[in-house]
Amino acid sequence: MSTATRFRTLKDMPKEDYLSAGNTMCAGCGGILAVRIFHKVLGPNVAWVNAAGCMTIAMSYPLSPLKSNWIYTAFASAPAGAQGVRDALDVLVAKGKLPVSEDMKVVVVTGDGAAYGIGFQSTAGAIDRHLDFYYLCYDNEAYGNTGFQMSSSTPYGSASKTTPPTAANPIGNTHKKMDLFEVWRAQGAPYVATLSNSHGVDFLKKVEKGGTVKGPKLYIDFAACPTGWGYDPKDSIELEKLAVQTGVWPLKEAVDGVVKHTLVPRSLLPVKEYLKRQERFSHLFEPAEMTDVIRTIQSSVNAYWAEAGAREGFSVKVPDSA
Amino acid sequence: MMLRVRFHGRGGQGAKTASRILGDAAFNDGYYSQDFPIYGAERRGAPVAAFTRFSDGEITERGFIFSPDIVGVMDDSLIDDPLANPFAGLRKGGCAVVNTTKRSDALLADRKDATIIAVDLTGMALKMLGKAVLSSGIAAAVARVAGIGESQFLAAVAEELREVGLSEEMVRKNVELAMAVYGQLAPLELRTEELPTKLELVPLAVVVSGEGMEDVTRTGNSAVRHTGNWRTFKPVIDYEKCTDCMICYAYCPESAMSVREDGRVAIDYDNCKGCMICLTECPLRAISQTMEGGTR
Repeated sequence: MSTATRFRTLKDMPKEDYLSAGNTMCAGCGGILAVRIFHKVLGPNVAWVNAAGCMTIAMSYPLSPLKSNWIYTAFASAPAGAQGVRDALDVLVAKGKLPVSEDMKVVVVTGDGAAYGIGFQSTAGAIDRHLDFYYLCYDNEAYGNTGFQMSSSTPYGSASKTTPPTAANPIGNTHKKMDLFEVWRAQGAPYVATLSNSHGVDFLKKVEKGGTVKGPKLYIDFAACPTGWGYDPKDSIELEKLAVQTGVWPLKEAVDGVVKHTLVPRSLLPVKEYLKRQERFSHLFEPAEMTDVIRTIQSSVNAYWAEAGAREGFSVKVPDSA
Repeated sequence: MMLRVRFHGRGGQGAKTASRILGDAAFNDGYYSQDFPIYGAERRGAPVAAFTRFSDGEITERGFIFSPDIVGVMDDSLIDDPLANPFAGLRKGGCAVVNTTKRSDALLADRKDATIIAVDLTGMALKMLGKAVLSSGIAAAVARVAGIGESQFLAAVAEELREVGLSEEMVRKNVELAMAVYGQLAPLELRTEELPTKLELVPLAVVVSGEGMEDVTRTGNSAVRHTGNWRTFKPVIDYEKCTDCMICYAYCPESAMSVREDGRVAIDYDNCKGCMICLTECPLRAISQTMEGGTR
């Protein structure tokens, strides 16, 4: 695999935009930003395969920001749709009906609802068949399009429409966020990576690197959601940064199953710094601070980094979780 | 007698909540009432509408309100937006309450038959709440015009805002804002024309496909949508301070920034939604914000 990169600083971000302005996403949307940056690296010849989610609304008739191709499938079926598109392109190229220069990269783009939950069955099939495609999941940790209901990606302690903090259950969501990265890796996907829009160069490099790999490639982008998470849209990038700096969202990749963290913070900020900026965690601070819940979140972050450090030979100074 | 009220806002401004507050207030004041929004794929910033009906008798009418007695317009940029068309169907003798910094006579010159009331709700909300959320303000203006009692109305503000999960402090601030708006206005004796009981069929004009509409086969055609009118604040680049580091360009979720031939970043104000990520991320503070003209 090639290690040379054309991306050293944000100035190297390609200047061509394949999304035009005037999309219908909320102001400050992390998901559409991920699509924009992803597309820049892949270039113009892309076929996007989508399942129900916020991004579906962005490309709805008669106006679409997309300058490339888009196919919409049923909620559970985007990777199956990608199989059909890939096969069709391969057949056209083999028959000489499509010049190789016009061949397309096939990219499934869904939110976490489809990636972690509803669409997972067809995803598993596509990985199993070693389908050559990209999967870009813009992960805003809930079903954002329908009003922020809990998904398998919703973290412990988050409020959502379906896990509101109540007298009987003041915590909000009591489930742990599903580890989609590990699920894909365990199934043998040759390239799996996490992204954060706030770490643009890391983002660009990973998409570039995945392009040299044939087979299923997963990118989970931590997509800040002002509407669902409850914060001012101007802070989208700040929150994504904080998620990385507190260790809540590790930046890593797995090439042929070997995990490597692409950013190892010397020391982590307390998770509180990240949680307290968002309405979805506000019940952990008001009316009284739920110290045990915050401690549970901090300990799980600390445990994650201790384990990752032991495996990869680094050490990260973590905040006190006692 | 029944009053039909239609609220027009942008997603996130609180049109749905305003319709709920008004419905609840009317109920508290002894009326039958109903309220509901248009349920669609609305986004923060996109035009939305919500409705309230209240009457001293039972309400058997259902569905969207096409001929309102009162419209509450929460953003004056909606007036020229064909997707919103807030004055559509406003009855003769009806009333439009518009959130704007403009004068009322500058808003709807061709409708001498309706009363236009201009209130700067965004200014008041920014001052009293710290953000441009307008549900309690527009509900207050409409409730006052419609003659709903103050205590019944204020109880509804508190009740509805608690129900949507606002903190006690924000509820208190909203009640204060609502009182201020309510106190500024006076009840209006509405003499709206009766609706015809039988509707005439309107013959539709023949429209040739492709004329007067965007070419749907053209890729990237969304720029004609002009999402720039979603903005409350406008980012402005100080090119003296800007060092072309491209951070704002990289983080713009809208593709509303482009790099000009001379290598400098330019903002597409037709479509910039004013999320202000660029302002937050600029390391040199070379981007500042100004309030949009009117109440945008």
